[in-house]
Amino acid sequence: MTAPLLHVDNLHTYFYSSGKQAFIRSVDGVAFDIAEGETLGLVGESGSGKSITALSIMGLISEGPGVIRGNIHFKTNGTIQNLLEHLDTYVTVSGQNNRIMQVNKDLVGWEKNVDKIMRDIRGKKIGMIFQNPKSSLNPFQPVGKQIMESILLHTSVTNPEEARERALTWLDRVKIDSPRLRFDNYPYGLSGGMCQRAMIAMALAGEPLLLIADEPTTGLDATIQSKIIDLLAELKSEFGITILLISHDISIISRLSERVAVMYGGTIVEYGPSRDVLARDRSAKHPYTQALLASIPNEENLTENGYLKAIEGDVLDTINIPEGCRFQNRCSRCTDAIREQCMHEEPPLHEIAKGHHIRCWLFES
Amino acid sequence: MKTYSQHSLEVTDLPEIPLWKKADKVDLLYVAYGLFIVLLVVGSYIAGSLKLLPYDPQDIDLNLMMAPPGTTGHVLGTDFMGRDMLSRLIVGIQAYFLPGLLAVFIALYFGTVLGVIAGYRGGLWDTSITYFVNLVDSFPRLVLILLVIAAFKPNIYYIMFVVGLTNVPVVSSLIKNKILFLKEKNFIEADIALGIPLKTIIMKHILWHHCRALLVIQATLGMAEAILIETSLSYLGFGVQEPAASWGNMVQSGANYLMQGKFWPSTAPALAILFTILGFHLLGDGLNNILEGRKKGS
Repeated sequence: MTAPLLHVDNLHTYFYSSGKQAFIRSVDGVAFDIAEGETLGLVGESGSGKSITALSIMGLISEGPGVIRGNIHFKTNGTIQNLLEHLDTYVTVSGQNNRIMQVNKDLVGWEKNVDKIMRDIRGKKIGMIFQNPKSSLNPFQPVGKQIMESILLHTSVTNPEEARERALTWLDRVKIDSPRLRFDNYPYGLSGGMCQRAMIAMALAGEPLLLIADEPTTGLDATIQSKIIDLLAELKSEFGITILLISHDISIISRLSERVAVMYGGTIVEYGPSRDVLARDRSAKHPYTQALLASIPNEENLTENGYLKAIEGDVLDTINIPEGCRFQNRCSRCTDAIREQCMHEEPPLHEIAKGHHIRCWLFES
Repeated sequence: MKTYSQHSLEVTDLPEIPLWKKADKVDLLYVAYGLFIVLLVVGSYIAGSLKLLPYDPQDIDLNLMMAPPGTTGHVLGTDFMGRDMLSRLIVGIQAYFLPGLLAVFIALYFGTVLGVIAGYRGGLWDTSITYFVNLVDSFPRLVLILLVIAAFKPNIYYIMFVVGLTNVPVVSSLIKNKILFLKEKNFIEADIALGIPLKTIIMKHILWHHCRALLVIQATLGMAEAILIETSLSYLGFGVQEPAASWGNMVQSGANYLMQGKFWPSTAPALAILFTILGFHLLGDGLNNILEGRKKGS
């Protein structure tokens, strides 16, 4: 078996609330991998740590303490590079009861180290599409120029004329009509959907090995959302790009990704092929995934009096993560037989079928 | 190397840390000192107006002229006419207390009103108010005060009116900029969309929530400035006139005896001026740092 393109292992990204003198455990032991040419969907509620995972991979967390533990192995040209190399020289962690209670981090040194490692990665090897396309583009530069910049920086093209031609082809590829006219447009002159297309063009123009799409459809209306997803699907089949797709919208994830990781409270609770994880009729499913699927707004999921279903309770407070299962207080499938375990022991990721992992005591035999 | 640590496993109830606990120790010290001075000034003012004084400040005792501090009955000694220094210092507060409040009130009231109109209305209102404010600002303050003294009589209230007026530009431009900044924010737009009356938006959502720290600080600084102007004018003989006591004219009359080694008639009021103004300034400064959540370290 060949090594995956990206292998994230035991990733911990914490923030510190100075007001409450406590850690916000945004990403708490996330592990997954993406094979070449594959699309992995990362789903979860707001605040479950999806975006922070993506930002951690890109080394874009500048606030302390930030990334404090873990490995991110990225395969470039056949060699595997750890994007968090030398992390332990800058960070010392101490704790009790398996909980991190104190972090010492040399923020400046760490930042320098990250920049050194990521210099050849950002844009060139990993491209990223952000949420809110309008605010992610430079408002004072024509979009075409911004795509050109990406080409000149990250590819072998050094001739501006050639780069311009290349940028125009990219604008054409992301289905912006009359690219020559749009080339000189500023972001404010484009609609949200067009800005997102330009963002995608910009990310892809660097010819990255991996594309991280962090909620690529937020802030766009439903028809445009659908078109953007179609575009990503087309680009995927055309160029075979590897995508890490982050979204809270299950329908988007299910259309694009081969595998899905469901995140809750900073960890992955279910992880496997999307036809298994997102299949509606299977019972072998994490209660959280099940509840998420049951709350997709469609005809089937309406309650008797025509309301949409919602998951009871609130999103996990990532400062006070309970002992045991993170989903315990909202879980509807916890039985008396396993309740003791749910309350006191964190379930491990258990493989119930080939490649399908679930973090729940229900499936632990 | 930066250290982050969590002390307990369970962060149970998450109490809002009170402002004074988050603040820098130095700022707290400033504010404590400032408040002490303000209380002392207010207390002395009340004592002075209730005539709760060790001696009558106008009581001339020719047998005890220039008694040094510590003389029986006269803690701070007496001046060149044998009047009790402590009583005169306390009564001297009356020279600036109410006039100073007047100056602060004028500066804050008109500054706020003009700032709100200029910031919220904009357009012609803004232009004309800005012109007026610039006009006031371009006048040298002392010249304006001397003009008023020349035209009327050296009444401290007239002087303080001018002091307040010349402080209007500072306050109004601060308020105007704050409003221009806040006006674009979504929550103000949401307020308007919710149908909240303009008066409530301006008074509560803008002035009370976002400008109160600024106004408190301007008030303390304004008071300090009023004291300084009053004492310096009285020192020059334009302000409060003898025999009425003012810290300024006390320094002036005492200064004549400084060369004879009799330092107390001038030094006591001078130190009073110094510590009082310092107190007001530190109060404003400390409050500013605490309320705006500023820390020296970061």
